[in-house]
Amino acid sequence: MKRVLCIVCLLAFCSFSPAVFADDTAERLKNLEDTVQNQSKTIEEQQNTIDTLKENFSKEKNQVSPEKGQVPQQTDQELQQKIEELNEKVNQVVETQKKEIPSVFNPAIGFVGETIFSYSSEGSAETGSDRPGGFDVFQRSVELNAAGSVDPFAKAYVVINASDDPVTGESTLDVEEAALQTTSLPGNLEVKAGRFFGEFGRLAYIHDHELPFVNRPLVLEQYIGGESRTDGLQINWLVPSEHYISLTLGAGDQFGGDNPPNYVGDTRNGTGLNYWGRLSTYFDLTPNISLEPGISGLWNPKTVAQWAPNPANPSYPTVDGDTFIERERRLAGVDLVLSWKPLRNNQFETITWGTEVLYSDNRYDVMDASGSALPSRTVSSHGVYSYLTYKFDRQWVAGIQYEWLENMLNNQAKTSAESANITWALSHWNQLRLQYTHTDNNAATGLRPYDAVYLQWAWIIGSHAHGWQQR
Amino acid sequence: MGGNNADFGKEKYAMKSKLFSVLWILTLTGALCGWATPAHAAKIRIVTTLTDLADFARAVGGDNVEVHSLATGVEDTHGVPMKPSFVPMMNRADLLILIGFDCEHAFLPALLEASKNPRIQKGTSGYVDCSKGIIPLDVPKSTDHYQGDVHPYGNPHYTLDPVLAKTAIENIYNALVDFDPQDQAEFKHNRDAYFTKLDAKITEWKMEAKQLKGVKFVSYHEHWPYFAKRFGLDYFGTIELKPGIDPTPRHIEELTRAMKAEHVSIVVREPQFPEKVPKNIAEQTGATMVTLPIMPGGVPNTETYIKMMDYIVHTMVDAEQTRK
Repeated sequence: MKRVLCIVCLLAFCSFSPAVFADDTAERLKNLEDTVQNQSKTIEEQQNTIDTLKENFSKEKNQVSPEKGQVPQQTDQELQQKIEELNEKVNQVVETQKKEIPSVFNPAIGFVGETIFSYSSEGSAETGSDRPGGFDVFQRSVELNAAGSVDPFAKAYVVINASDDPVTGESTLDVEEAALQTTSLPGNLEVKAGRFFGEFGRLAYIHDHELPFVNRPLVLEQYIGGESRTDGLQINWLVPSEHYISLTLGAGDQFGGDNPPNYVGDTRNGTGLNYWGRLSTYFDLTPNISLEPGISGLWNPKTVAQWAPNPANPSYPTVDGDTFIERERRLAGVDLVLSWKPLRNNQFETITWGTEVLYSDNRYDVMDASGSALPSRTVSSHGVYSYLTYKFDRQWVAGIQYEWLENMLNNQAKTSAESANITWALSHWNQLRLQYTHTDNNAATGLRPYDAVYLQWAWIIGSHAHGWQQR
Repeated sequence: MGGNNADFGKEKYAMKSKLFSVLWILTLTGALCGWATPAHAAKIRIVTTLTDLADFARAVGGDNVEVHSLATGVEDTHGVPMKPSFVPMMNRADLLILIGFDCEHAFLPALLEASKNPRIQKGTSGYVDCSKGIIPLDVPKSTDHYQGDVHPYGNPHYTLDPVLAKTAIENIYNALVDFDPQDQAEFKHNRDAYFTKLDAKITEWKMEAKQLKGVKFVSYHEHWPYFAKRFGLDYFGTIELKPGIDPTPRHIEELTRAMKAEHVSIVVREPQFPEKVPKNIAEQTGATMVTLPIMPGGVPNTETYIKMMDYIVHTMVDAEQTRK
């Protein structure tokens, strides 16, 4: 009975707790409280049964003669058993209340860390990388992820990234994502607003540590500008069909984590923003084999002095001494993922082939070395990456990757790279990846071929979610 | 700048603009072609995460329901693939029935978000958590990842105890009555008929499982505490080091040694896990390895919950009898 009282007190205490937990936790607590209430009822009923049994036992004890003592002994055993069962149940309920959950706080909080150990056969001047050649150790990022419900109509998430400047070593904090996402719009619509990774292609909106290889594909690095980060608004529509079709449209300033925001001067009209869209679908070819194609497009009608002089990017890019000032940005992409994922053993064995082809068709104002204006130019360039991964054990994945691209400013400058890697996932939260990459740069790039070996060590603590893009 | 398209006339520029316009039109047309207004079905559309829940929903709902399960039965309960083809199905669902206790945390939250169906989101009456009223076993005091991929609310595999499965059925019944009160009488009739059948089987299974009283067994994953408790078996341990974490050689060595010392007689291998390690452990310890489904359809001839429990109890009893 004392335990029942304890539970009631515990519930009373919980009901007066400050409302620091938001919906998710509150809901969990509510469910737990419901469970406790149900069990309290059960316990009370069982306590009543025990009381009745005790009463009966007492009566029987008084009535039964000494030579019939066998019967009360059995009743006593039954009673004891019931009390033990009851104790066990109460203990379980109490244990349920005592547990700690990583996401007990609202928002749920988690950290991701990623360290890259590498060796490159050429220096940064020859590779074009912002990392030095030879041996290098690089804490690529530490991410703080927080997510939670805002109210019954929306949720929000924030990703704060801490990284070191490759040259000065100075640590900087950066808001990588901070966005609000609706959860209850009618018409199969979802709106996302704030800073987020815009939906373009297959891997552009995936964080580095979730990629199937160590480095972001070169074509995404160059044509998109790394992750597809934007400050904007995106609408996703699930087409109300028997077949899965998803359509996304968005608009925003800046598109690409490495790109600066457009320099706008005093005012900007709608043509100064980036507009993007993506259409994707999915086919179950067999229960174990699936095909997921998609097409994407990005258009900035009037890139108002993209790469304009500013503290972050003090100069325009140059090619052969000519200065390029982006005036219009146009990018299209086609992507395809073919997966063999056996239903029965999908945690132990899968094969995935993914390919994405991008076509860039940007228009530039050009100035020669003396600052005289030359005719504007449109540079059409292509790039592709393709990878194959084979998960042959719950902990092990082997992968190969091929990349090829034309420079978006000079389509005669071509780069290709071949990689092989092996991943050892000790658990969901602790993963090592060893990768070898050979990169070929042709003469027009002004860079040299080189070899590199990477060891990536990524870890997660705290809350983590299995996101839709990780499927 | 050699090699670049230095000469781009207005004509070429216009052509490229048209190409991009065509791409956008194709995108929109493709989307609109897929448009199909969902028919308002007379039947209650139910999506369940696992096949045992689908079996229960069909039993209680009868002809009034149309039930789809995300799992086919052969998957790991925690590892159902997140297929986009599930999304339209969930988008149209009236009720989503799940095991709860975070059993489906690896796939359900993302699918729910993608479904964009406000009727079945967590906290709504369409979100039917069958763990309501179940007292969980193995509730961890801490969910630090040192303990592996633990379930913070306790072990979620309670439907392997047929008595607790009745609580899940009751929750499904309540959800159906809430959704469609007009058909309450039919749901009640169906539920009672199923309970009668299940109760008879429970009595039968208990009788048969008397031979298993105190029998020690191990399994690959922690699927069996409720089953063991109900039928009086001694659940000795798991082959996994921790939930969701494969065994290390040292763990296998220690487990094997302990199993020999304690005369553990049965090694249960769930079919979604590889056979090699359980088989080796069984050979080294002299135990019998059995392959048991964890939801209907996991192995042949277990299409319904009752058939599955029949299979589990018979297989365990056979294994013990063979050993003797």
